[in-house]
Amino acid sequence: MTKPSFVYVTYIRTSPEKLWRALTDGSLTRQYWAGRHVESDWTVGAPVTFWFDGKMSDSGKVLECDPPRRLSYSFHVEFVEALRSEPPSRVAFEIEKLDAQVKLTVTHDEFEPGSQVFAAISGGWPVILSALKSLLETGRSIFPNSAAAHRAKAEA
Amino acid sequence: MTAPDLKPSFVYVTYIAAPAEKVWRALTDGDFTRQYFFGRRMKSDWKVGAAWALLMEDGRVDSGGKVLECEPPRRLAISWRVEWLEEYRKLPEAVVTFDIEPVGEVVRLTMTQLSAPIDEKFLEGGRQGWPVIMSGLKSLLETGKPLTMPAPQPPKAKD
Repeated sequence: MTKPSFVYVTYIRTSPEKLWRALTDGSLTRQYWAGRHVESDWTVGAPVTFWFDGKMSDSGKVLECDPPRRLSYSFHVEFVEALRSEPPSRVAFEIEKLDAQVKLTVTHDEFEPGSQVFAAISGGWPVILSALKSLLETGRSIFPNSAAAHRAKAEA
Repeated sequence: MTAPDLKPSFVYVTYIAAPAEKVWRALTDGDFTRQYFFGRRMKSDWKVGAAWALLMEDGRVDSGGKVLECEPPRRLAISWRVEWLEEYRKLPEAVVTFDIEPVGEVVRLTMTQLSAPIDEKFLEGGRQGWPVIMSGLKSLLETGKPLTMPAPQPPKAKD
Protein backbone atom coordinates (compact mmCIF):
# COMPACT_ATOMS: atom_id res chain seq x y z
CA MET A 1 0.00 0.00 0.00
CA THR A 2 1.33 3.43 -0.88
CA LYS A 3 1.32 6.21 1.66
CA PRO A 4 -1.45 8.68 0.82
CA SER A 5 -0.63 12.33 0.20
CA PHE A 6 -2.83 15.33 -0.49
CA VAL A 7 -1.86 18.21 -2.79
CA TYR A 8 -3.93 21.34 -3.44
CA VAL A 9 -2.96 24.31 -5.59
CA THR A 10 -4.71 27.67 -5.47
CA TYR A 11 -3.89 31.05 -6.99
CA ILE A 12 -4.59 34.09 -4.84
CA ARG A 13 -4.45 37.77 -5.74
CA THR A 14 -2.19 38.92 -2.91
CA SER A 15 1.52 39.25 -2.10
CA PRO A 16 3.72 36.44 -0.74
CA GLU A 17 4.17 38.49 2.47
CA LYS A 18 0.43 38.88 3.08
CA LEU A 19 -0.15 35.20 2.40
CA TRP A 20 2.67 34.28 4.79
CA ARG A 21 1.07 36.40 7.49
CA ALA A 22 -2.32 34.82 6.87
CA LEU A 23 -0.78 31.37 7.39
CA THR A 24 1.17 32.22 10.54
CA ASP A 25 -0.88 34.85 12.45
CA GLY A 26 -3.53 33.35 14.70
CA SER A 27 -5.80 36.40 14.54
CA LEU A 28 -5.99 35.78 10.78
CA THR A 29 -6.16 31.95 10.78
CA ARG A 30 -9.21 32.05 13.03
CA GLN A 31 -11.05 33.96 10.29
CA TYR A 32 -10.71 31.22 7.68
CA TRP A 33 -9.36 28.05 9.37
CA ALA A 34 -12.62 26.75 10.87
CA GLY A 35 -12.10 29.08 13.84
CA ARG A 36 -8.57 27.81 14.62
CA HIS A 37 -6.06 30.19 16.12
CA VAL A 38 -2.50 29.12 15.30
CA GLU A 39 0.34 29.87 17.72
CA SER A 40 4.08 29.47 17.18
CA ASP A 41 7.22 31.57 17.19
CA TRP A 42 7.96 30.09 13.73
CA THR A 43 11.52 28.98 14.23
CA VAL A 44 12.66 25.50 13.21
CA GLY A 45 11.95 23.08 16.04
CA ALA A 46 9.47 25.37 17.79
CA PRO A 47 6.04 23.99 18.74
CA VAL A 48 2.98 24.84 16.62
CA THR A 49 -0.37 24.83 18.39
CA PHE A 50 -3.86 25.24 16.96
CA TRP A 51 -6.45 26.50 19.44
CA PHE A 52 -10.19 26.22 19.09
CA ASP A 53 -12.53 27.54 21.77
CA GLY A 54 -9.70 27.54 24.31
CA LYS A 55 -8.81 23.89 23.60
CA MET A 56 -5.85 22.53 21.69
CA SER A 57 -7.18 21.13 18.41
CA ASP A 58 -3.92 20.17 16.69
CA SER A 59 -0.21 20.35 17.46
CA GLY A 60 3.14 19.98 15.75
CA LYS A 61 6.68 21.29 15.35
CA VAL A 62 8.13 23.66 12.77
CA LEU A 63 10.21 21.68 10.27
CA GLU A 64 11.07 24.41 7.74
CA CYS A 65 10.56 28.15 7.88
CA ASP A 66 11.71 30.32 4.99
CA PRO A 67 9.45 33.39 4.90
CA PRO A 68 7.70 34.20 2.61
CA ARG A 69 8.41 31.13 0.51
CA ARG A 70 8.19 27.86 2.37
CA LEU A 71 6.77 26.65 5.66
CA SER A 72 6.33 23.12 6.92
CA TYR A 73 5.39 21.57 10.22
CA SER A 74 4.41 18.24 11.63
CA PHE A 75 0.71 17.88 12.33
CA HIS A 76 -0.93 15.83 15.04
CA VAL A 77 -4.67 15.90 15.68
CA GLU A 78 -5.44 16.40 19.39
CA PHE A 79 -9.09 17.39 19.29
CA VAL A 80 -10.77 14.32 17.84
CA GLU A 81 -10.48 11.26 20.06
CA ALA A 82 -10.59 8.76 17.17
CA LEU A 83 -7.72 10.48 15.35
CA ARG A 84 -5.40 11.18 18.28
CA SER A 85 -3.73 7.77 18.17
CA GLU A 86 -2.33 8.34 14.67
CA PRO A 87 1.29 9.45 14.38
CA PRO A 88 1.96 13.02 13.17
CA SER A 89 1.71 13.79 9.45
CA ARG A 90 3.41 16.70 7.66
CA VAL A 91 2.00 19.94 6.20
CA ALA A 92 4.02 22.03 3.74
CA PHE A 93 3.17 25.39 2.16
CA GLU A 94 5.02 26.57 -0.95
CA ILE A 95 4.47 30.18 -2.04
CA GLU A 96 5.49 31.48 -5.50
CA LYS A 97 4.85 34.96 -6.84
CA LEU A 98 3.30 34.96 -10.32
CA ASP A 99 2.52 38.35 -11.80
CA ALA A 100 -0.16 39.96 -9.59
CA GLN A 101 -0.96 36.77 -7.71
CA VAL A 102 0.69 34.00 -5.78
CA LYS A 103 0.58 30.28 -6.35
CA LEU A 104 0.07 28.42 -3.09
CA THR A 105 0.78 24.70 -3.07
CA VAL A 106 -0.27 22.81 0.04
CA THR A 107 1.11 19.30 0.43
CA HIS A 108 -0.07 17.20 3.34
CA ASP A 109 1.71 13.85 3.48
CA GLU A 110 3.54 11.30 5.64
CA PHE A 111 0.33 9.50 6.52
CA GLU A 112 0.19 5.85 7.38
CA PRO A 113 -1.70 3.69 4.86
CA GLY A 114 -5.43 3.75 5.68
CA SER A 115 -5.10 6.95 7.74
CA GLN A 116 -8.38 8.42 8.97
CA VAL A 117 -6.70 11.79 9.40
CA PHE A 118 -5.97 11.71 5.66
CA ALA A 119 -9.67 11.22 4.90
CA ALA A 120 -10.56 14.12 7.22
CA ILE A 121 -8.02 16.58 5.83
CA SER A 122 -8.88 15.75 2.20
CA GLY A 123 -12.32 17.26 2.77
CA GLY A 124 -11.02 19.98 5.08
CA TRP A 125 -8.29 21.64 3.02
CA PRO A 126 -10.55 22.80 0.15
CA VAL A 127 -12.80 24.48 2.76
CA ILE A 128 -9.88 26.19 4.54
CA LEU A 129 -8.03 27.23 1.38
CA SER A 130 -11.17 28.54 -0.33
CA ALA A 131 -11.88 30.65 2.74
CA LEU A 132 -8.24 31.84 2.86
CA LYS A 133 -8.39 32.96 -0.78
CA SER A 134 -11.66 34.82 -0.19
CA LEU A 135 -10.35 36.51 2.94
CA LEU A 136 -7.22 37.78 1.18
CA GLU A 137 -9.06 38.89 -1.98
CA THR A 138 -12.25 40.35 -0.49
CA GLY A 139 -11.42 40.95 3.19
CA ARG A 140 -14.46 38.89 4.09
CA SER A 141 -14.84 35.44 5.55
CA ILE A 142 -17.03 33.19 3.35
CA PHE A 143 -17.90 31.01 6.33
CA PRO A 144 -19.27 33.56 8.82
CA ASN A 145 -18.74 31.24 11.76
CA SER A 146 -16.82 28.07 12.41
CA ALA A 147 -20.06 26.06 12.55
CA ALA A 148 -20.64 26.88 8.87
CA ALA A 149 -17.13 25.72 8.01
CA HIS A 150 -17.62 22.53 9.98
CA ARG A 151 -20.87 21.89 8.17
CA ALA A 152 -19.16 22.37 4.81
CA LYS A 153 -16.41 19.99 5.85
CA ALA A 154 -18.82 17.42 7.24
CA GLU A 155 -20.80 17.40 3.99
CA ALA A 156 -17.69 17.19 1.81
CA MET B 1 -23.47 7.77 -19.21
CA THR B 2 -19.71 7.36 -19.05
CA ALA B 3 -17.60 4.62 -20.54
CA PRO B 4 -16.69 2.02 -17.93
CA ASP B 5 -12.93 2.36 -18.33
CA LEU B 6 -12.93 6.04 -17.41
CA LYS B 7 -11.46 6.79 -13.99
CA PRO B 8 -11.08 10.08 -12.13
CA SER B 9 -7.71 11.53 -13.16
CA PHE B 10 -8.18 14.90 -11.50
CA VAL B 11 -10.61 16.29 -8.92
CA TYR B 12 -10.73 19.87 -7.70
CA VAL B 13 -13.04 21.25 -5.03
CA THR B 14 -13.55 24.93 -4.33
CA TYR B 15 -16.09 26.90 -2.29
CA ILE B 16 -17.46 30.08 -3.84
CA ALA B 17 -19.51 32.84 -2.23
CA ALA B 18 -22.03 33.11 -5.09
CA PRO B 19 -25.46 31.66 -5.91
CA ALA B 20 -25.48 28.34 -7.80
CA GLU B 21 -27.15 30.03 -10.80
CA LYS B 22 -24.27 32.47 -11.13
CA VAL B 23 -21.67 29.71 -10.93
CA TRP B 24 -23.60 27.82 -13.61
CA ARG B 25 -23.60 30.87 -15.85
CA ALA B 26 -19.91 31.45 -15.29
CA LEU B 27 -19.21 27.88 -16.45
CA THR B 28 -21.46 27.91 -19.51
CA ASP B 29 -21.46 31.48 -20.85
CA GLY B 30 -18.58 32.40 -23.16
CA ASP B 31 -18.53 36.03 -22.01
CA PHE B 32 -17.74 34.73 -18.51
CA THR B 33 -15.38 31.89 -19.45
CA ARG B 34 -13.30 34.24 -21.62
CA GLN B 35 -12.40 36.14 -18.44
CA TYR B 36 -10.94 33.24 -16.46
CA PHE B 37 -10.45 30.32 -18.90
CA PHE B 38 -7.24 31.54 -20.58
CA GLY B 39 -9.30 33.80 -22.86
CA ARG B 40 -11.35 30.87 -24.18
CA ARG B 41 -15.06 31.15 -24.97
CA MET B 42 -17.32 28.24 -24.10
CA LYS B 43 -20.01 27.75 -26.72
CA SER B 44 -23.00 25.39 -26.76
CA ASP B 45 -26.79 25.49 -26.56
CA TRP B 46 -26.45 23.21 -23.50
CA LYS B 47 -28.89 20.49 -24.43
CA VAL B 48 -28.07 16.82 -23.85
CA GLY B 49 -26.51 15.47 -27.04
CA ALA B 50 -25.58 18.94 -28.34
CA ALA B 51 -22.01 19.79 -29.28
CA TRP B 52 -19.93 22.21 -27.21
CA ALA B 53 -16.67 23.93 -28.04
CA LEU B 54 -14.09 25.96 -26.21
CA LEU B 55 -12.88 28.62 -28.65
CA MET B 56 -9.55 30.40 -28.58
CA GLU B 57 -9.36 34.15 -29.14
CA ASP B 58 -8.42 33.62 -32.80
CA GLY B 59 -11.42 31.33 -33.33
CA ARG B 60 -9.54 28.02 -33.28
CA VAL B 61 -11.09 25.20 -31.27
CA ASP B 62 -9.18 24.46 -28.06
CA SER B 63 -11.38 21.53 -27.04
CA GLY B 64 -14.81 20.19 -27.82
CA GLY B 65 -17.26 17.35 -27.31
CA LYS B 66 -20.85 16.59 -26.50
CA VAL B 67 -23.13 17.52 -23.63
CA LEU B 68 -23.80 14.32 -21.65
CA GLU B 69 -25.76 15.66 -18.69
CA CYS B 70 -27.19 19.14 -18.19
CA GLU B 71 -29.13 19.97 -15.03
CA PRO B 72 -28.85 23.71 -14.40
CA PRO B 73 -27.74 24.88 -11.91
CA ARG B 74 -26.56 21.60 -10.34
CA ARG B 75 -24.66 19.33 -12.68
CA LEU B 76 -22.98 19.44 -16.06
CA ALA B 77 -21.18 16.52 -17.71
CA ILE B 78 -19.43 16.85 -21.06
CA SER B 79 -17.24 14.61 -23.15
CA TRP B 80 -13.91 16.31 -23.79
CA ARG B 81 -11.42 16.07 -26.62
CA VAL B 82 -8.45 18.40 -26.87
CA GLU B 83 -8.34 19.64 -30.47
CA TRP B 84 -5.67 22.35 -30.54
CA LEU B 85 -2.72 20.05 -29.93
CA GLU B 86 -2.04 17.45 -32.63
CA GLU B 87 -0.93 14.62 -30.37
CA TYR B 88 -3.90 15.03 -28.00
CA ARG B 89 -6.44 14.80 -30.82
CA LYS B 90 -6.04 11.05 -31.15
CA LEU B 91 -6.51 10.30 -27.44
CA PRO B 92 -9.71 8.68 -26.18
CA GLU B 93 -12.27 11.28 -25.08
CA ALA B 94 -12.28 12.29 -21.45
CA VAL B 95 -15.38 13.30 -19.49
CA VAL B 96 -15.46 16.43 -17.36
CA THR B 97 -18.18 16.97 -14.77
CA PHE B 98 -19.07 20.01 -12.69
CA ASP B 99 -21.22 19.63 -9.58
CA ILE B 100 -22.59 22.69 -7.84
CA GLU B 101 -24.00 22.17 -4.35
CA PRO B 102 -25.24 24.88 -2.00
CA VAL B 103 -23.56 24.66 1.43
CA GLY B 104 -25.01 27.27 3.76
CA GLU B 105 -24.35 30.68 2.20
CA VAL B 106 -21.85 29.43 -0.37
CA VAL B 107 -21.61 26.72 -3.01
CA ARG B 108 -19.23 23.84 -3.32
CA LEU B 109 -18.01 23.42 -6.90
CA THR B 110 -16.47 20.02 -7.65
CA MET B 111 -14.83 19.49 -11.02
CA THR B 112 -13.83 15.99 -11.98
CA GLN B 113 -11.94 14.80 -15.02
CA LEU B 114 -12.49 11.15 -15.95
CA SER B 115 -9.91 9.69 -18.29
CA ALA B 116 -9.22 6.44 -20.07
CA PRO B 117 -5.93 4.75 -19.15
CA ILE B 118 -3.48 6.95 -21.10
CA ASP B 119 0.12 8.05 -20.68
CA GLU B 120 0.35 10.23 -17.56
CA LYS B 121 2.12 12.96 -19.56
CA PHE B 122 -1.19 13.77 -21.30
CA LEU B 123 -2.83 14.43 -17.93
CA GLU B 124 -0.22 16.91 -16.72
CA GLY B 125 -1.63 19.89 -18.67
CA GLY B 126 -5.03 19.49 -17.06
CA ARG B 127 -3.58 19.02 -13.58
CA GLN B 128 -1.62 22.25 -14.00
CA GLY B 129 -4.41 24.16 -15.72
CA TRP B 130 -7.55 23.35 -13.76
CA PRO B 131 -6.38 24.97 -10.48
CA VAL B 132 -5.62 28.18 -12.44
CA ILE B 133 -9.06 28.08 -14.08
CA MET B 134 -10.96 27.27 -10.89
CA SER B 135 -9.05 29.93 -8.90
CA GLY B 136 -9.82 32.51 -11.60
CA LEU B 137 -13.50 31.57 -11.64
CA LYS B 138 -13.75 32.02 -7.87
CA SER B 139 -11.95 35.37 -7.99
CA LEU B 140 -14.18 36.61 -10.83
CA LEU B 141 -17.39 35.69 -9.02
CA GLU B 142 -16.31 37.01 -5.62
CA THR B 143 -14.45 40.16 -6.61
CA GLY B 144 -15.70 40.94 -10.13
CA LYS B 145 -12.10 40.76 -11.33
CA PRO B 146 -10.35 37.80 -12.94
CA LEU B 147 -6.77 36.82 -12.14
CA THR B 148 -4.03 37.82 -14.60
CA MET B 149 -2.53 34.45 -15.42
CA PRO B 150 -0.74 33.82 -18.70
CA ALA B 151 -2.37 31.32 -21.06
CA PRO B 152 -0.63 27.97 -21.50
CA GLN B 153 1.68 27.63 -24.49
CA PRO B 154 1.69 24.54 -26.68
CA PRO B 155 4.56 22.19 -25.84
CA LYS B 156 7.71 22.92 -27.86
CA ALA B 157 7.83 20.98 -31.13
CA LYS B 158 10.49 18.27 -31.16
CA ASP B 159 11.99 18.24 -34.63
